[in-house]
Amino acid sequence: MEGFVDVMFQPLEDFWRGFISFVPNLLVMIFIFILGFLFAWVIGILLKRVLAVVKFDIWCDRVGLTALIRKGDVWAKPSEVFVRILYWFLVILFIMIGLTALQLPTIDNLISQFFVYIPRAFSALLILIAGYLFAGFLSRAVLIAAVNSGYHYAKILAEAVRLLLVVLILAMALEQLQIAPGIVVAAFSLLFGGIVLALAIAFGVGGIDAAKRIIEKGGEEKKEETGEKGRDIEHL
Amino acid sequence: MSDFHQTDPIITLHRLGRAGLERIESEMVEFSKQRPIALVLPALYTEFQGEAIKGIIEELKKVKYIREIVLTLGRAKEEEFKKVKEFMSQIPYEVKIIHNEGKRIQEIYATLDRNGLWAGEDGKGRSAWIAYGYILANGVSDAIALHDCDIVTYNREMLARLCYPVANPNIDVVFCKGFYSRITDRMHGRVTRLLMTPLLRALQKLVGSNPFLLFLDSFRYPLAGEFCMIADVARTNRIPWDWGLEVGVLAEVFRNYSPRRVCQVDIADNYEHKHQPLSAEDAQKGLMRMCVDICKSIFRILAAEGIVLSDSFFKSLQVAYIRLAEDIMVKYEADAAINGLVFDRHEEAMAIEAFANAMQRAAEAFMGKPMGTPLIPNWNRVTSAIPGILSMLKKAVDEDNR
Repeated sequence: MEGFVDVMFQPLEDFWRGFISFVPNLLVMIFIFILGFLFAWVIGILLKRVLAVVKFDIWCDRVGLTALIRKGDVWAKPSEVFVRILYWFLVILFIMIGLTALQLPTIDNLISQFFVYIPRAFSALLILIAGYLFAGFLSRAVLIAAVNSGYHYAKILAEAVRLLLVVLILAMALEQLQIAPGIVVAAFSLLFGGIVLALAIAFGVGGIDAAKRIIEKGGEEKKEETGEKGRDIEHL
Repeated sequence: MSDFHQTDPIITLHRLGRAGLERIESEMVEFSKQRPIALVLPALYTEFQGEAIKGIIEELKKVKYIREIVLTLGRAKEEEFKKVKEFMSQIPYEVKIIHNEGKRIQEIYATLDRNGLWAGEDGKGRSAWIAYGYILANGVSDAIALHDCDIVTYNREMLARLCYPVANPNIDVVFCKGFYSRITDRMHGRVTRLLMTPLLRALQKLVGSNPFLLFLDSFRYPLAGEFCMIADVARTNRIPWDWGLEVGVLAEVFRNYSPRRVCQVDIADNYEHKHQPLSAEDAQKGLMRMCVDICKSIFRILAAEGIVLSDSFFKSLQVAYIRLAEDIMVKYEADAAINGLVFDRHEEAMAIEAFANAMQRAAEAFMGKPMGTPLIPNWNRVTSAIPGILSMLKKAVDEDNR
């Protein structure tokens, strides 16, 4: 009978022992969570002040980052957006650290993957920001050059350049994040290749005479140059 | 029907012969294909509780040559904005409403503010300016017309006549201002009749012949709020945000364009809208506030023209003004008599005294702070400081109207 009672209570005892050994880990996790929220809050306040001192919002307005944020229908100040992103990043980071305190193999595995992913996310973000600025700069340069050259469709041309660059940047960022990399690369190659092919066909069909003239003109100029050189030698 | 006298240096377009609304509208439809027109309507929410706006919308529904209407709405809560949106949806072409109190537009103002580009206090000037910005951002209209939303006697001929000189490619006009008489059983428009006209003439007496004063004096109704202009004017002009708006706009037009490309057009036989109380005892309210702002604006423009304004100048000006205003009052009395209108001479004399008082206050304000409050910067400067501001503004308005 004793044996039967032991067998019956053994699982409960095991559960109780497991629970007793788990509780300190749970408390540590909760403590880390609270610490994380406090730390993120303090860092947020400090960063907000620093960004105000260095006039981060004005810088964002002038380089076009504010316009980029607004495109996503976000109407907070750029510094507030930046602080909020950092706040939630820190909170998530501390949640992840807190979860490791539970010492559960499945969660540990997930967290190690998360930490491996962080640098990729950062580099994707950097590619997006730098790429957007570069696209804006190049688009503006094309616009000015096209307007100065008297092209009628300067604005469309500049927008097309910007769009192509944005597509390229998005593909790069997605590839960096390892989100369906094969599909992204294939889609980008098809799209970009398609555009180039379309342009080539359009020029080939519509601009065949212009191309002929340019090539003939280039050939004549070369001939003239060599002719002049020949004469110089003759003269010498 | 009026006379056909031309007042130099600007062009005056009269109402002669038959009105011909159908003809003018059919021509406008053709012109608008080459030069699309946007109509700006600055309005407060309280105006949507009145009757005038209903008449205006009924008339605007029939107009076929306006490409877009931009209603710039002030002092409206979120719910009120939605009601106005619903009300404006009866217009069969594109209508965009700028919700000046909305969080998106407020953030646009905050962005301007932190970049040292103050857009002024809430009012008609700032509302109109932000609407011009949206039209420039949208990039579909080449001409911009503006009129108030409290016109009781509104009809669409007013709008057609206002837009015609700018829309017609054969008339090389960049800016066109409306004029009309404001009569019920008596003459209204006291600030124009008893302040602007005698003040401009008194200034010409003291300063001598001055092109700007001559330009301003050539307008029959310089304080009329209805005008039409090419979009480039909206891009290059700085405007005041206070009651000096009309004078400030004319000053900028004078500065940037030849007067030969500016015109005034007779848009209505009669025009009726809300009347402001005089409030002679309080210079912060009613017509007194308006007069102080207008006088300050004129003094600052003259100073910018290089005219030296001193204490003694202002003393002489006040005396000259009172004399000329009294003379002009007699002329209006005769005009009222022949047309069978009520004319309260005592009230008119009281208004002149109040206006002289306002002028003195304006002179004191000018002497104390000659630079005054800054004008709202022009859109060229704004886009130079914040390159993405127009796309931000377009996004804000489009999202609000979604």
